[in-house]
This record gives sequence, structure tokens and C-alpha cells, in this order.
Amino acid sequence: MSLIEGNLDETSVILVKDLTKIYNGKKAVDNISFTVKKGEIFGFLGPNGAGKTTTIKSILGLIKIDSGEIKINDFDIRKAEKNAKKNIGYLPEKVAFYDNLTALQNLLFYAKIKKVSKEECLSLLEEFGLGDVINKKVGTFSKGMVQRLGMIRAIMGWPLVLILDEPSSGLDPRGVIQIRNKIKELNQKGSTVFISSHILSEIQEICDRVGIINKGVLVAKDTVTALSKKLNLKPQMSIELDEISDEIIKSIHDIKGIDKIEVKEKTINIVCDSETKAKVILTIAKAGGNIINLQTQEPSLEEVFIRYTGGEV
Amino acid sequence: MLDIIINIAKKEFIDNIRNKWIIIITILFISLTLLASYAGSIYSEGWQDLGSTMSVMGGLVNFLITIIALILGYSAIIGEIEKGSMDSLLSLPAKRIEIILGKFFGLGIVLTFAILTGFGTAGIIIGFNVHNVNYVEYLIFIGATILVGLVFLSIGIFLSCLFRKRSTAMGSAILVFFLFTILWRFIVVALLFFINAFDIKNATLPDWYLALNFFNPINAYEILLSLNIPSLAMQQVEAITFGYTSFLNTTNVLIALILWLLTPLILACWVFKNKDI
Repeated sequence: MSLIEGNLDETSVILVKDLTKIYNGKKAVDNISFTVKKGEIFGFLGPNGAGKTTTIKSILGLIKIDSGEIKINDFDIRKAEKNAKKNIGYLPEKVAFYDNLTALQNLLFYAKIKKVSKEECLSLLEEFGLGDVINKKVGTFSKGMVQRLGMIRAIMGWPLVLILDEPSSGLDPRGVIQIRNKIKELNQKGSTVFISSHILSEIQEICDRVGIINKGVLVAKDTVTALSKKLNLKPQMSIELDEISDEIIKSIHDIKGIDKIEVKEKTINIVCDSETKAKVILTIAKAGGNIINLQTQEPSLEEVFIRYTGGEV
Repeated sequence: MLDIIINIAKKEFIDNIRNKWIIIITILFISLTLLASYAGSIYSEGWQDLGSTMSVMGGLVNFLITIIALILGYSAIIGEIEKGSMDSLLSLPAKRIEIILGKFFGLGIVLTFAILTGFGTAGIIIGFNVHNVNYVEYLIFIGATILVGLVFLSIGIFLSCLFRKRSTAMGSAILVFFLFTILWRFIVVALLFFINAFDIKNATLPDWYLALNFFNPINAYEILLSLNIPSLAMQQVEAITFGYTSFLNTTNVLIALILWLLTPLILACWVFKNKDI
């Protein structure tokens, strides 16, 4: 059976179908549908105020939706709230804890509700470099420490679905790498990850598929490569030669599938189809060109994002 | 369900027992009760019995307990929503009703702890210095105080669920405080004279006027005390002058206070269940 978008089959763990949420007469989210497959990392992107947070809050059952259906591992978030939430680990954009409680007291509070052992909490605190501060009040923590504690809270109990809203927020580069590695590790162990981030390079690096929301409407959902293709975004080659002759330039112009040629000193920048790249190199070689350096830049998620959102960030 | 409520209640207790306002008001309780016992009577010197102490403290308790309960309650829900921790709590397999009940019980224990510590410490010190102490009356006094405290805690939590901003919830809690502790007396007396229902010749008050006492938990609390603690009955001018009508009895007043406790709590559960976070 093929996967029909909006229907939950055995390969999907998140289903969002015809979701609409209206605030003060204005549609914050307008009839959006998507599924997230088991074991994939799904990036959810959109400019500020596009409806990302509303969608995440709807998935978590934090807000009442006006119409539509949301299922987590086949449990309806409204009708079987507890069972649905047993499968979720959530890291909010604004991570908050109880400042008067210690890191361990905070974690144990959440752990009891999630039925996670104290040993697992201690082990995660060690792993995330918070082993020395378990008895310190969270109110004294830096933003980065709070963010790491939030990540522990989200992943404790190895949930089936991880929903991460800006997971790198407030972290130093080391923390960013640690969180990214942890996401990959959890994903390899079977967790499905739904991630929203402003750092598009991060999304491009770790996500299997992305969804782009703009003004409450889901304008795109696919792999970055497929979306680039749909938008006719092409790779850019940068070829440095020891000498550029008119013959080389003329022979490149004769190749079909090239959109743009730009010559700068001894470098030729070419925008062309992926399939044409090999032809270009062969043609240059045949025309007597000696390639010193060759770089290819694939279309970035940033370009895809800007095209789909009309330049809004 | 019960284990989640207990877990949330335990967290609330640990989180709030170190609240500076709770500590300040508990110390104030102890100090005032001891002061009331030692210097509360103008007719005699030295330590007074608990009856005299309660009659002095009765009026102060109205203010202090109402404040402490509303402080604990008004930010219980909206405070967490504004801070951001409610998102995480609600992403866990915990129902909203469990969160409300957990918070009510946890904060209720904090309140009870403050009352017991305040009056208990003073009661023990007075007991060592005064003979023939009537501890039963003192226990009724403490029990009724806890009950009225829980009523205002319940109201506070309801206000916390009702509003979208912590500042609005605080404003409404202040309004509730002034309404029940100060304004109420003026409103009902004004109503009485406006309707001209006071029969001055026979010195009787209409039943509807006396029934209004059920609509103010502080009045209900005062009547409960005066019905069960003779030394406090002297304070109730209406009781001495006009006598209580038959429906103002201990059972009915207790039912009124329990309804005052349950109604805002049920409303809080309903409002919170339908609230967008």
C-alpha cells in the first residue's frame, strides 16, 4: 500500500490531517496535512509567525484545534491524550524549569510522570556534562545548561517521537555539536525526530525531509534535493584553470543544459544541471584546459526556503 | 491518576515552602499570636489564655490567611504558563485535571503547614505559660482557619486559570481580597438600608440579609467560629444583638464553606481543560 499524505500507515508515527487553527478570526494554520515516517528526521521550517509554534502546540495537544486530526503512533491527541503523550519527548523553544528545585529534583519530577528511573536521569546528567551540578538549583544555571537539561528532559525514557523546537538555542558551538550528535544517535536507535530550527544548515545536514510553512499554509514538503529540483535550482561549479582560452569558453557555451557562465580571471563559474557537470569537465579537457581546482556547490536549503517563503525569514 | 497528583503536589510543596512570603507570614503568625497572648488584654498583664488570644487573632486571621492563600493560588497556573514550564508539563502523560488537583493539594499542604506552624508554635508556648488551656476550641479555630484558607486557595487557582496574564490574575486576586474583607460589609449594609428592611423597632434583621453571610467565605468562617467557640461569639455584634436565625447553624455554614472550596476548583478544572497554552 502506498503512503497517502494525511493517512497514518504502519510507516508513519505523526499524522497531521487538515489541521486548522483560528485565532481571533485569523487562520494561524490553514488546513495543513503531513505525515512523519517512523525513523526519519523531519525538519519543520517557516518564517517567524508562519504557524510553526501553533502546529507544534497542536501536535502536543496544548491548544484546541478548530478542525482536523492529529495522531501520534496511531493515538488521537484529543481522544487518547495520555497514550499519545507517552510516545512524545518535547523540547520547547523557551525551556523552563522550577528555579527553586535542583537539577535532579526537577528531572525526577518529570521522570516520575514519564515512569523513568533515577539511574537513567543520573546517567543522562553525566552524559550532558551536568553531573557536577545535580544538587544545584536550576535558578543558578546558565542558558546553555538549562537548554541541555531541557534536552535531557525531552529524551529521557527514549521516546518514539522527539519534538524539538529550536534545540540549538542558547548553546555554544560545542553544545550545538553535542545536541546534533545526540539527535543522530537517538534517530539511529529508532526515534523519529520532528525538528524546528532557524539554523537551516543544521536542518539540511540532519534532516531526511523538510516541511515549509508560510502564512499558515504548508507550501512544501519533501527532501531538500527534490524541492530543489521542483524549483529548478541547479548546482554551481567553480572551475579554476591555469589558463582560459576563447576556445574553452566557446566549447562550454555549446553544451546543452547550462544556465549561466561567468568568467573571473582564471575561474569559470557555471550553473548547470547535475547531469551536465561531467560533460563540462570533459569538454574543458578536450579543449586543452588544465583544471587546477574544481568545486561544486549543491543548491542549499536556504535557497529553497527563500524561494518558498518569498524571501521572508 | 493518584500517583501523578501526589507527584505534582510534592513538587508544589518543595517549590513553595521556600517562598519568602510564606516564610514571612508564618513568622508574622507566630509573632502576632504570641503578642496577642501576652499583651492582648488591657485588663490584665502577662500571658492570656487561648480564648483571649483567639479573640484578638480572629480579626487578623481574616486578612492574613486570605492574602497568603491568594498569593499561593493566583500564580499557580498562569505563572507556569508565562514562564514556559507548563508546555513541558502538558507534553507529558498528565491530564490537566491532575495538574490542578496536584497543585491544589500541594499548595494546600503549604498553607496548612504555615497555619499549623504559626498557631501551633504559639499554642505550645502559651500552653506552657497558662493553666486550664482549652485545646479543643483552639483546634476548632485552627481547623476552621485551614478550611477558609483552602477556600481562598481554590479561588486563587480559579483566577489563575481564568486570565491570560499573571498581572491580571494578581489584580483580580487583590479585588477578591478587598471585596470579601472590606467592601462586603459596606455593600450588604448599604443594601439593607437601601431596601429599608431593617426593623429598628423590633431590632430584627431580615433572613435574606443573614443568608448573605453564606456568600462571603470570611463571614461564614466567623459565624462558624462564633457558633463553636463561645469566647469568639462576643465578637459577632449581630449574634449578640439580634441572634442568629435557625439556618445559620454549624452544618449549613460548613456546607457553604465546602461549596466555596469545591465550586472554584471545579470551575478551574473546566476552564483549564479548555484553555490554549
